Amino acid sequence: MKKPQDLKPDTLSLHAGQRPDKEHGARATPIYQTSSFVFENTESAAGIFNVERTGHVYSRITNPTNAVLEERISALEGAIGSIATSSGQAALHLAIATIVNSGQHIVASNCLYGGSHNLLEYTLPRFGIETSFVDFRDLDAVRDAIKGNTRLVFGETLGNPGLDVMDIQQISDLAHDSGIPLLVDSTFTTPHLMKPINYGADLIFHSATKFLSGHGVVIGGLLVDSGNFIWDQNNNFPQLSKPYKGFHDMVFTEEFGPAAFINRARKEGARDFGACMSPHTAFLILQGVETLGLRMDRHVQTTREIVNFLSQHKAVSSVSYPELESHPDHELAKKILPNGCGAVFTFELKGGKKAGQNFIENLNIFSHLANVGDSKSLVIHPSSTTHHRMDEAALKKAGISEGTVRLSVGLEDIEDLKDDLDAGLRSALKTS
Amino acid sequence: MHIFSGPRGLQGDKNPIIFIHGTGMDHTVWTLFTRYFLRHGRDVLSVDLPGHGKSKGPLLDSIESLSSNLLDYLDSRNIDKFSIVGHSMGSLIALEAASTQRERVNNLVMIGTALPMVVSEVLLDLAKNNDPRAIDILTFMGYSTNARIGNNKNPGMWMTEGTRRLMQRSGKDVIFKDLLACSNYVDGLEKAKKVSAKTLLILGENDYLTPRHKASDLINNFESVTVKEIKDSGHTLMVENPNLVLDCLSEIL
Repeated sequence: MKKPQDLKPDTLSLHAGQRPDKEHGARATPIYQTSSFVFENTESAAGIFNVERTGHVYSRITNPTNAVLEERISALEGAIGSIATSSGQAALHLAIATIVNSGQHIVASNCLYGGSHNLLEYTLPRFGIETSFVDFRDLDAVRDAIKGNTRLVFGETLGNPGLDVMDIQQISDLAHDSGIPLLVDSTFTTPHLMKPINYGADLIFHSATKFLSGHGVVIGGLLVDSGNFIWDQNNNFPQLSKPYKGFHDMVFTEEFGPAAFINRARKEGARDFGACMSPHTAFLILQGVETLGLRMDRHVQTTREIVNFLSQHKAVSSVSYPELESHPDHELAKKILPNGCGAVFTFELKGGKKAGQNFIENLNIFSHLANVGDSKSLVIHPSSTTHHRMDEAALKKAGISEGTVRLSVGLEDIEDLKDDLDAGLRSALKTS
Repeated sequence: MHIFSGPRGLQGDKNPIIFIHGTGMDHTVWTLFTRYFLRHGRDVLSVDLPGHGKSKGPLLDSIESLSSNLLDYLDSRNIDKFSIVGHSMGSLIALEAASTQRERVNNLVMIGTALPMVVSEVLLDLAKNNDPRAIDILTFMGYSTNARIGNNKNPGMWMTEGTRRLMQRSGKDVIFKDLLACSNYVDGLEKAKKVSAKTLLILGENDYLTPRHKASDLINNFESVTVKEIKDSGHTLMVENPNLVLDCLSEIL
């Protein structure tokens, strides 16, 4: 029997979560720019507060525009639900704060976005949460790093900035063997290139500021729940499997089953930490998501050409992109990222730091800024910016040197991009 | 048998409400509704049928045995009279209980139901082999066409995947035994004639698993019945239109 076909990703990107509104017939998602929502009557109000009726109360918790974005990303990821947050960092914090307590521990990849590294290395210890950073290519090291008080394993689909490809299946198996979930930052790949849930990821988060939006005009994040992890399989997560006094002794696993995590995250984290997304931001991210597939295909196509161009340039000593045979994760990338390894990658300039500075300062189309995933091409020097708080040893572990340059390839004409890079590279050559 | 009765447990309500889930599900499908009745001081018993959710097996493969098992449990808790609400397969178990225990059942609510509830051989074969396509079919057919686009009343949740995930938690043979029980319940129409409880049917306008027209014989066989049709809803009415279902339940219960 033929399997029933759910709607395809490009259709979901445009439609999931939204039907024309019944009052006015608006085809686009309306922006419900309101802090709060009028209750129909006192009984209905009590019902919504008591989680017996569905509806919106206050936009810190839920909002109709945000809900469309949350559903759309859930649909694209094959997840049961999502929460839109004020940034990707807020999504990461919400995930951790929901399931990790003071005195507990996280095992994380040593190749993380600098902001994630800051949170785990410097900030969370103030709240009693320690992190061990491990090379995720070394599965024995990951296994050894998991301790009795470890509550989360966390990495990125493509590590930052060296594009280490996480073997999600292997890492999730290790986490699950210890009765703990795997959280994956899927910002660089988006659901168009890979769905981490298919490989065993339990939770996902996105910096929606990046490829999901594409336009670079908003900051936003999304925390996504696969619904696969069994939170009451052990006593590791009493936040979900024991009565919660903050919500009438609700036991989330008992009342929500597969949706225990996402409900706790909303009913506690969204409520109490308050890092919510503005409805206007959700609307703008939705405009980006509508063209996600088209843009990601073009991003990848252009990136492949740029990678090839740089690989042959005399000013460049090496290029790190998983589609190159020289990349340590080339075979894994072929398996789990057949449609491309994204549009962010690094390369090494001959001539070190000075060459890097000359290169960046002589670019006209590539913008020098601390972001990725924009439709406009971007460039940055990680060791002096995004990763500047890491010491030399940590930088080396993350595959960053003084000559490392990170590009985020946009959607401009490929010839214009190559001309721009060539001008910068010729300036770099003059340095050396 | 695992029963959800809320944090305070049973308080001696003379008309507690029994909730029975459908194929491959568990008591969590009733969370919104049980919370309403608990807030209004009612006792609820939201059941995980044998082999489902947190209830241990053995799996039972007939509506009659599932009903009998439930009634045995209610006897063990000294529950005499009650109201009973069931969805899909659970509605058949509720019907069986209401027909065999006429004097005990005050209200009968059948949601997303039809009789006979014949399951195709193709689907039964897939389920018999524990083929995941059985869950895919039930999920796909379990929602209205519009619901596949989403716009969930419960903000931020993707309906179809939530249902799929719940069914994926089912153990070996659970889906098959449930579907077999539904398909083999051939006496249901006769049983409906014996029901004396105040009866309500809540049906989805766009139900592809138990289409509206296939409930006609059932409706005609009840001595007295109220039928509520939920517009723009498929088989999984409690997810697609929870507030309207709650309005219907609160009227009769």
